[in-house]
Amino acid sequence: MCCPGCRAVAGMIAANGLESFYQQRTAYSERPAAAEFSLNDQYLIYDDEDMAERFCQRETDGTVTARLLLGGITCAACTWLIENSLAPVTGVGSALVNLQQSRLDVRFDPATIKLSEIFSRVESLGYRPRPFHASTQRDQMSADYRRDLRRLGVAGFGMMQVGMFAVALHAGDIQGIQEQYQGLLRWFSLLVSSFVVYYSASTFFTTAWRHLRQGALVMDLPVALAIGLAWLASAWATITNSGQVYFDSVVMFTFFLLLGRFMEARVRQKHSLTWFDAESALPDAVSCERDGSWVTVPRTQVGAGERVLLRPGETIAVDAEILSGDSAVREDTFNGEHLPRAVTTGDTVYAGTVNVEGALEARVLGSYLESRLAALQQSVEVAQTEKPRLARLADRVASWFVAGVLLVTSATALAWLQIDSSQALWVALSVLVISCPCALALATPAALTAAASSLRGSGVIVRGENALEALSRTTHLLFDKTGTLTEGQLEVARVELLSDVEREQVLAIAASLQRWSNHPISQAFQGIEGAPGFEQVNYHVGQGLSGRQGGIAYRMGSEAFCRAFCPALSPAPEAPLYWVALCTADRQLAWIGLSDKVRDEAAEVIRTAKQAELEVGLLTGDSSAQGPLLAAQLGIDRVDIGLEPQQKMQHVQALQADGAVVGMVGDGLNDAPVLSLADASFAVAGATDLARTQADFVIVGGDLSAVTSTWRKARACRRIILQNFGWALGYNLSAIPLAAMGYVPPWAAAIGMSLSSLLVVANSLRLNRDSG
Amino acid sequence: MDSLYLLIPVALVFVAVGIKLLLWAIDNGQYDDLDKEAWRIIAEEQKHDAKHQPEEGKRQQP
Repeated sequence: MCCPGCRAVAGMIAANGLESFYQQRTAYSERPAAAEFSLNDQYLIYDDEDMAERFCQRETDGTVTARLLLGGITCAACTWLIENSLAPVTGVGSALVNLQQSRLDVRFDPATIKLSEIFSRVESLGYRPRPFHASTQRDQMSADYRRDLRRLGVAGFGMMQVGMFAVALHAGDIQGIQEQYQGLLRWFSLLVSSFVVYYSASTFFTTAWRHLRQGALVMDLPVALAIGLAWLASAWATITNSGQVYFDSVVMFTFFLLLGRFMEARVRQKHSLTWFDAESALPDAVSCERDGSWVTVPRTQVGAGERVLLRPGETIAVDAEILSGDSAVREDTFNGEHLPRAVTTGDTVYAGTVNVEGALEARVLGSYLESRLAALQQSVEVAQTEKPRLARLADRVASWFVAGVLLVTSATALAWLQIDSSQALWVALSVLVISCPCALALATPAALTAAASSLRGSGVIVRGENALEALSRTTHLLFDKTGTLTEGQLEVARVELLSDVEREQVLAIAASLQRWSNHPISQAFQGIEGAPGFEQVNYHVGQGLSGRQGGIAYRMGSEAFCRAFCPALSPAPEAPLYWVALCTADRQLAWIGLSDKVRDEAAEVIRTAKQAELEVGLLTGDSSAQGPLLAAQLGIDRVDIGLEPQQKMQHVQALQADGAVVGMVGDGLNDAPVLSLADASFAVAGATDLARTQADFVIVGGDLSAVTSTWRKARACRRIILQNFGWALGYNLSAIPLAAMGYVPPWAAAIGMSLSSLLVVANSLRLNRDSG
Repeated sequence: MDSLYLLIPVALVFVAVGIKLLLWAIDNGQYDDLDKEAWRIIAEEQKHDAKHQPEEGKRQQP
C-alpha cells in the first residue's frame, strides 16, 4: 500500500465483496491523493437546497437525482466499482456512471441519505466528485459523438445493402445477366448509395470545401473527389444504361473511413476532461461572518470586503488580505513548490493556495474573476489559441496525391481520346476509382488508434489530437522540477552534527517533535521512529516546535526561532538544502538538511532523452539553488529558475519561434498554460486536474519513464504511418497503369480497395502488439 | 426471377426500419457509453453473489 488513501480504497473494496475490481480493471486507477480535509465537512454545503438545486432534479416520487462530475475516473472497472458500492447503500435508488462524460447520475431519497454522504462515499473510493453543471462545450461533444455514430450506422446499413446488390451485379458481369435485372439492381444501388452519400459522406465534402476555401488541401479533398466522382459516374452509367457502376466501392469506402475516424476519436475523447478549469479547484464552501456569527456560505455569494475565516488545511477560496493570524500558505498553484510561504497580518493570500498552519481571519479582496487564479485560467485559454498547429503528415501527402491523381486521370482521358473516344470517359473514371485513397486515408487513423490503445494499456492516456505526431517530431523536451522530476515530498538529505549526540538520536528527537506538526516538513520524518517521553510539545506557527523530554527543553525550527532560545547556535550550512535547527537552551544539537526526493527513474529518463538527441531543459518556479543543483545531478544543460506560469509560456514560445517542436512535462496548476502551449505535453501522476486537462498525454501510473516509452511509441507510430502511406501509394501506383489500359473491372476495383485497406489496418495493429 | 421486383423493395423496407431503429437508439442515448455496456455483462454475474449478503452492505452505514 502506497498511502492511507490506497489502504482505505482496498479496505472498502474488500469489505464490500468487490474484489473482482482487481480482476476486471483494464488499467491501474490513479493513486488517490491523501485527504487534505476531514471527509464530510467540505461537502456539507451541498446539503443546502439552493446549492443542490443547481445540479439536482426532483422526481415526482420524492426522490432526487443528482449529477456529479468525477475526477480521476479511468476505466470501465471504475464505473463498476462506483455503481456497485453506492447501490447497496440505504436510500440510494440507483447509481449510473457515464464513463465518456465522467458523470455519475445518482438517484436517492433525501429523507434517508444526505447528498454530502454520497459525495464523501465517492471520495473515499478514491475519486474526486463535484457538481456537474451543464456546459455548451460538453453538450456539443456529446451531440458530435451521436452525429458521428448516426452517420456510421447509416453507412454500415447502406454498405450491406449495396454489397448484396453488388454481388449479383459482379456475378452478372462474369457469367451474364439479363439487362432488365441489371438495370433493376443498378437503380436500387443508386437509391441506397445516394442516401449514404447524402447522409454519411457529406462530412467529407463540407470539410474539404471549408479548407479549400482557405487555400488548404487536406486529406478530405481526395476522399471527397473519389466519392463524388465515382458516385456521379455510376449514377450516369445507371441512367444512360451504359458503362460500369462502382456503388459498392463508394459506400464501402465511406463506411471504412467513417469507422476509422470514429474509432480514433473515441480513443482520444474517452478521457477528454475539457470541463475542468481553474475555478473548479476551489472549494464551494466559505466560512464567512454574517451578522456577527460565522456561517458557511457558497463561495459565489461572498463579496469584496467581507470577513472570512481560512481554516488550516483548506484550500483558500478567494483572494484575501489577512486581518489577523499567522500561518504559511502553500502556493504550488503559482510556483509549483510545496514548501509554504510564511504569511502574517497585512499579507495577501490567493485563491487556489492552501493554508497550511494556522487559522486566519481575512478580508475578501474581490470575486473570482478578479483573482490571480482567474488570470492563470486566462493564460491557459490564451495558450490554447496560440498552440502551433503542426501540419499533419496525412494532409501534406494529400496535396501531392490530389495533384498526382488529377494529372494521371486527365492524361489517361487525353490518351484514350486518341485511341478510342467512346471508351475515354469510362477508362478515366476507372482510374479515379482505382486510385481511391481508401488505404491512404485510413493509414493515419488506424495507426493512431492502435498506438493510443496500446499506450492506454501501459498507463498513458492520449488526449491531444495530433499529439502522437507532434511528439514524434519533438526536438526539445522540457521538465518541471517539483512533483515532476522530484516526488514533491521532502526527505532528510543531510544531518550536520554539532555536538556529541549521535545522528540516530538527533533524528529520533526531531521525529517525535514533528509528530505535532502538519507542516510539509514533518513528512520528511514520518518514517523515522521517535524518541519516547516527549511532553508539552507546542507548535509555533511559522517558526517551529518546542517540547520537553526528561526535564530538558528542545526547540526545532527556523534559525531565528532556535537562536532566540540557544544563542550559541552556529549559522546554517552553505549547501542549498532546506535547513532546520535542533537545539536545547544551552547546546546546539544539529542542522538537518531536507531536500525534495528525486524520482528514481528521473536520471534514466533524462539519459534516454539525451541519447535520442533531444534537447533537455528544466523550467521551474522555484527560485532557490535547488534547480541548478538538480539539473547538474541529472545532467540537464538548460536550466531556468524562478519562473511564473506566464514566463514559462514565453520560454516555450521563444523556442517555438526558432522552429523547435517542444515537449513539456509538468504536474502543477502553474504548469497548465505551458502544457497547453507546448506541441506535445505530459501530465505526470498526481497532477492537478487543470494540468491534465491541458496535457496531450496523461501518465496514470507513477512512472516518469512513461515519457520516454511514449516517445518511442510515437516514433514507432510515425514509422507505421509512413509504411502505410508507402503501401497505399505503391498500390495505387501499380494499379493505375492497369486501370489506364482498361484492364480493371469494378469487382476487381472493390476487392483491391478492401484488401489494401485491410493490409493498412493489419500493419497498424502491430503497434498494439509489441510493447517497445 | 420476377420475384426480385417484389423482394428487393421488401428488403429496402427492412433496411429503412433497421436504420430508423438504430437512429432512435442512438438519439435515446443507448450508445453513449460503449465501454461500460461491454462490462455490464460481467458485472451482472457478480451482482447475484452480492445479493446473498445485502445486509452486510447495509451495515456499512455510518
